[in-house]
Amino acid sequence: MVNMWGYVFLAYGIVWLAILLYTVSLKRRYRAAEEELKRLRASEES
Amino acid sequence: MAEILKTSRTSKGYLGGLALISVLLGLYWGLLRAPPDAYQGEVQRIMYLHIPSILTAYLSFFLVFIGSCLYLWKREKRDDLLAYSAAEIGVLLTALTIIEGSVWGKSTWGVWWTWDARLTLTAILLLIFAGYLMLRSLTGDENRSASAAAVFGIIGFLDIPLIHMSVYWWRTLHQPPSILRPDKGPWENIHPELLTALAINFVAFLLLYFYLLSLRLRLAEMREEIKARRME
Repeated sequence: MVNMWGYVFLAYGIVWLAILLYTVSLKRRYRAAEEELKRLRASEES
Repeated sequence: MAEILKTSRTSKGYLGGLALISVLLGLYWGLLRAPPDAYQGEVQRIMYLHIPSILTAYLSFFLVFIGSCLYLWKREKRDDLLAYSAAEIGVLLTALTIIEGSVWGKSTWGVWWTWDARLTLTAILLLIFAGYLMLRSLTGDENRSASAAAVFGIIGFLDIPLIHMSVYWWRTLHQPPSILRPDKGPWENIHPELLTALAINFVAFLLLYFYLLSLRLRLAEMREEIKARRME
């Protein structure tokens, strides 16, 4: 049974780690684009 | 279509919070609350990830299909951006479905991988949409790239009915569907406690999916605006 839990934790670990990494990377790309856009808008206004 | 997914920063925050709560609830239900399966034991808990992730991947590729059809018909950039954003998340979910299935397969069938019809067709689905993402990043002319990708996305989506029907058409190691089957409802196949765990995890995946899609779509829109402002 312990061995079976090992497979369960392996699957859950991979899935949630991958989703967490994707979410973090997406948020980073989102913030970078937001900053870039803000900068471009500000430079156009000035 | 893309307009439906347009959410404000506040509603994105609420959606993200709701997704996080439902994911934690899904983990509690799937790992602690639901009893082990009578035949498979604890390893059946992998199904609380495997089924929601593939169904959400199907939904994602359905959005690619809709976005691609609308783009080829109306030539509106937002539909193309929706298809592109949905494809990226769909590829992640399909890759995770194959990995979860592989871990479950090793514990149940004794192998990490076998050239079963459903597994092979799912791997082909992953390759098609990985190709779709590569196509988007390689071609120089953006409109041509978007049109080619739209055709690719529509053809790629046609693999999903094949995946679903493969367990009926060929002798496969993969069991027939428990959820999307024409003759029986899921409540007739699955014990209510296991079905509750599955339903909670499915809702969690859906909320998380729409949260990620709203972020990815907004990112794509911002990148378009950046490009347009730089050209001016």
